[in-house]
Amino acid sequence: MSDLAAPERTASAAPAARPKEPPQPRLSRKHREWLAAALFLLPDCIGLLVFVGIPMVLSVVLSFFQVSGFGSYEWVGLGNYERMLGDPLFWDSMKITGIYVLVLVPVLFVVSLGLGLLVKQNLPGVSIFRTIFFLPYVISLVVVGLLWKFMLDEQIGVVNKAFRSVGLEGESWLGDPDIALYSIIAVFIWVMMGYYMIIFLAGLQEIPREYYEAARIDGAGPWTQFRTITWPLLRPTSFFVLLMSTVAAITGGFELVFVLTEGGPANSTSLAIFYIYQQAFVFGEYGYSAAMGTALVLAMVLVSGVIFKITKGGRFDDGD
Amino acid sequence: MATETRFAPARVTRMSAGRRGRIGLTVLGTVLAAVAFFPVLWMITSAFKTRDTVTDGKLIPDEFTVQNFVYVFTEVPFVRYLLNSFFISAVITVVALLLHSMAAYALARLRFPGRETLFMTIFSTLLITAPVVLIPLFLVVRELGMLDSYAGLIIPAIFNAFGIFLLRQFYLGLPRELEEAAIVDGCGHWRVYWSIVLPLSRPILSALAIFFFLANWNSFLWPLVSTTNPDLTVVQVGIASFQSQYGSNWNYVLAAAAVAAAPMLVLFFSFQKQITESIKTSGLK
Amino acid sequence: MTVDSTRGVPRRRVLAGGAAAAGTAALAGCGLQAKAEGGPMQFWNFYAPQRSDDPALAAQSKWFTDLVAKWNASHKTKIELLYLPPPIYQTGSKLPTAFAAGSGPDIFLASPGDFLRYYNGGILMDLTPHMDKAAVKDYYKDALASRMVDGKVYALPMEVEPLAMYYDVSAWEKAKLSEGDIPTTWDQLLDVGAKLKSPTRAGIVTETKPGYLQNFLWYPWMWQGGGDVLDEKGRPSVDTKAVRQALQLWQDAVRLGITPRVPPAANDLIAAFRGGNAAMWQSGIWQVSSFRAFAPKFEYGLFKLPTPPGGTYKTALGGWSFCANAKGRHPEAAAEFCAWALGTMEEECLDRMVDWCVKAKSDIAPRKSVLERATRAGGYDQWAMKYFKDEVFPGGRAEPRYPPVIYKAMSDALQGAMLAGRSVDSETSRAAQSVEAYVKSYKGAKLV
Repeated sequence: MSDLAAPERTASAAPAARPKEPPQPRLSRKHREWLAAALFLLPDCIGLLVFVGIPMVLSVVLSFFQVSGFGSYEWVGLGNYERMLGDPLFWDSMKITGIYVLVLVPVLFVVSLGLGLLVKQNLPGVSIFRTIFFLPYVISLVVVGLLWKFMLDEQIGVVNKAFRSVGLEGESWLGDPDIALYSIIAVFIWVMMGYYMIIFLAGLQEIPREYYEAARIDGAGPWTQFRTITWPLLRPTSFFVLLMSTVAAITGGFELVFVLTEGGPANSTSLAIFYIYQQAFVFGEYGYSAAMGTALVLAMVLVSGVIFKITKGGRFDDGD
Repeated sequence: MATETRFAPARVTRMSAGRRGRIGLTVLGTVLAAVAFFPVLWMITSAFKTRDTVTDGKLIPDEFTVQNFVYVFTEVPFVRYLLNSFFISAVITVVALLLHSMAAYALARLRFPGRETLFMTIFSTLLITAPVVLIPLFLVVRELGMLDSYAGLIIPAIFNAFGIFLLRQFYLGLPRELEEAAIVDGCGHWRVYWSIVLPLSRPILSALAIFFFLANWNSFLWPLVSTTNPDLTVVQVGIASFQSQYGSNWNYVLAAAAVAAAPMLVLFFSFQKQITESIKTSGLK
Repeated sequence: MTVDSTRGVPRRRVLAGGAAAAGTAALAGCGLQAKAEGGPMQFWNFYAPQRSDDPALAAQSKWFTDLVAKWNASHKTKIELLYLPPPIYQTGSKLPTAFAAGSGPDIFLASPGDFLRYYNGGILMDLTPHMDKAAVKDYYKDALASRMVDGKVYALPMEVEPLAMYYDVSAWEKAKLSEGDIPTTWDQLLDVGAKLKSPTRAGIVTETKPGYLQNFLWYPWMWQGGGDVLDEKGRPSVDTKAVRQALQLWQDAVRLGITPRVPPAANDLIAAFRGGNAAMWQSGIWQVSSFRAFAPKFEYGLFKLPTPPGGTYKTALGGWSFCANAKGRHPEAAAEFCAWALGTMEEECLDRMVDWCVKAKSDIAPRKSVLERATRAGGYDQWAMKYFKDEVFPGGRAEPRYPPVIYKAMSDALQGAMLAGRSVDSETSRAAQSVEAYVKSYKGAKLV
């Protein structure tokens, strides 16, 4: 496996050391920098090209074909895209993805910011809190799925047992189309909150303490401090969290749906990403699936392009 | 004087309000932490219950048994799965860190035409999600003759724009002076990178190392479709299969789940300081 | 330093400077090498080889390994078994990905729901030339029909698996019900279910997860009222009273709280019965061997699926079959193997099928002579097996081979009516529209 990685690495090392040798015509400083950049970037760029770029291009190409079953390809032009626009299930899946993102991202944001604020305080045992909130993030989604399937079981699950012990009925957390999507969102928040909490914590700790002390002397309460100091100074971190969690929400969640609901009940958890997967791997509609996948990637490029513009090229400095 | 006396009592009340607030926050934190920790605890204690008591709804097992773990390890080659995952994740992590930090350094520091475009292009690959390109990726890997091998599990997983992105952010925040001095001294870019930049990146590299290791330890879909040889089974695929075979034997399933999660939990507990500190110093601002 | 591996050469050239070119060359070399490798035929399945404490699973695994060992002892093109756990095999992406990329197994197992997809994709080998003509006739017509196109056999069933309703006798008695209360109509079924259910016990369990299995379990209820997705000529016939009432039945069962939205005990019938979490459960004959292995003392009962007013009894017959990959490395040998294993009149072949259907598993044999032989050997002496063979099986109809779009249309209607509580009428007409649109544009082998 090192065949691919190793050669470039050696190659990039060699010329960088070489310029000192006299026989070579010396490159100008500018050109040397270009050359170095090219060599530094080469291995990763080749890798990304081969394992992400080419598959994506192949996928786009595939989207113009009707792939009936296995191995027979028929050119249909934009046929798959037309079918997509007329497919209510595709729109349903986009709608579900929309709800999923619009609920997950803000809630995750608030929860992790709240936890970040909490664990920034100098409380007894605060490092234990941090550890615990971060803990779910290190568990794989497959295991998380299994665990929550066990806990959310209608009859034997501990969640419903707790409900019943206080005289409530309990719910069919994964079997009721009105609830299942929110169950999945809740599980995902449980997994991700610690990660974003740490990022918020980092952002919070960068805000100079003096600002707060000055505000306190001015008699500002915690809420005013938050509104006038924390919130504006935290903006770069907030942008970062928004961008990353939006991307994670659209592209992620697949394993959870796969393990917990398989898109059901009544397609209520059929996220776009799951519908695309299903069309390809359950129904063998590779062309159609590729068309929807391409559309989803385009949609994501648009969404993150917008966020990216706002964050000024991803530097996340506060421009004002 | 007058002002001071006016200040003093106000301060005292604020302090006590602050103390009350702190107690409130501690209680809140404790409650939230208990809720957040409960599922993990539940998995662990349930894994020590018997088949009959696993669904009894009690946190502490009446009958404490390690039989589930014995069963998991004797029934399934779980050790092999763990070693596979460990090997694959470790190799990916080391190679990816080196390649990504090189690329990120070039993108952050070296001047060359088309730098921003290239960065945007690399960044946009983040938006390409696994299930969308699964079949084409499979085709590519097959053409390269890497299907059903460690190479096929490792190489495609190395290339991920996320690491490049984070490292670039970090390098943008590094002071330039050291590098510039070195360049004036006649150091080549490789030397600057290798002996100045790389040592400075140690904190973020250790943070990313843990994240890469974690992500690859936890990866599921690609190992599932790209391997058929049972000897190449990784732990996540192993546990998914295990669950499918022992469906309602939750005691076994949870024991297997605990085994699959354990290395990451141990890793996290031993390196948690580094993890949190590193995320903080990783220039995510 | 050695040059014996192909790696040594490119490395040096890399050092000499031609990084990219050499890298590509090395990769291309690897690719060609991998393709040139022949090796034994791969037989992907979800039975063997596996190690298991469960005697039933161990016996099934042994049946497969014995079969392959026997073939390998007498044939030049060897076979290698590859085990994939059932859910990964049956619903996972592994097989589709492998086939789509042209590296599918030479021999594999397929269910009726997969048939047209594989057939229309040109994956399936014609097995007829390798079979005894008598063996083709020996198969139950219905069992083979869904695996045939234009009189040729493209997949060979290894088993027939009819559906019935299981019940827990102790729950039945606790609810003061007797044998006379065994429901024969849908209304009675719901009544009994309502009597048996409690907060921790489900009245009637059936599959609720969307998938081929759920459709398969639902079809007989539709057939009983004379309804069908496609009529015998393959024309769409969804928008009928029979379809609506069958959707209504499943909707009512959930609405009345008789059928849980998620099957209890992680969908394990025996665990749920033993744990007192379910009273009735719609499932197939395969559960008989599970009871035999895991709960030999557990007292359970069986009855045929009840019928609607004016309906006729029907059940659905499932079962998997052997297929040979036409695009594999050795298509002829693979086809020969399938026919050799299940499609001759040899004593050995018949005995082998008896072993599978009544010893390793609990199934109805797909061939007349095998069923006779198995009966003579006492394979259907046990009451449940006897009941399945004599009572349940005769009203059976093979699982249809509808392709994914039709499956999905029906699945969505079923899911929408049953779990989202949507109007049965609108779900029916929506499904009807999808099916009609699909049939109009469908190209491929006959749908029924």
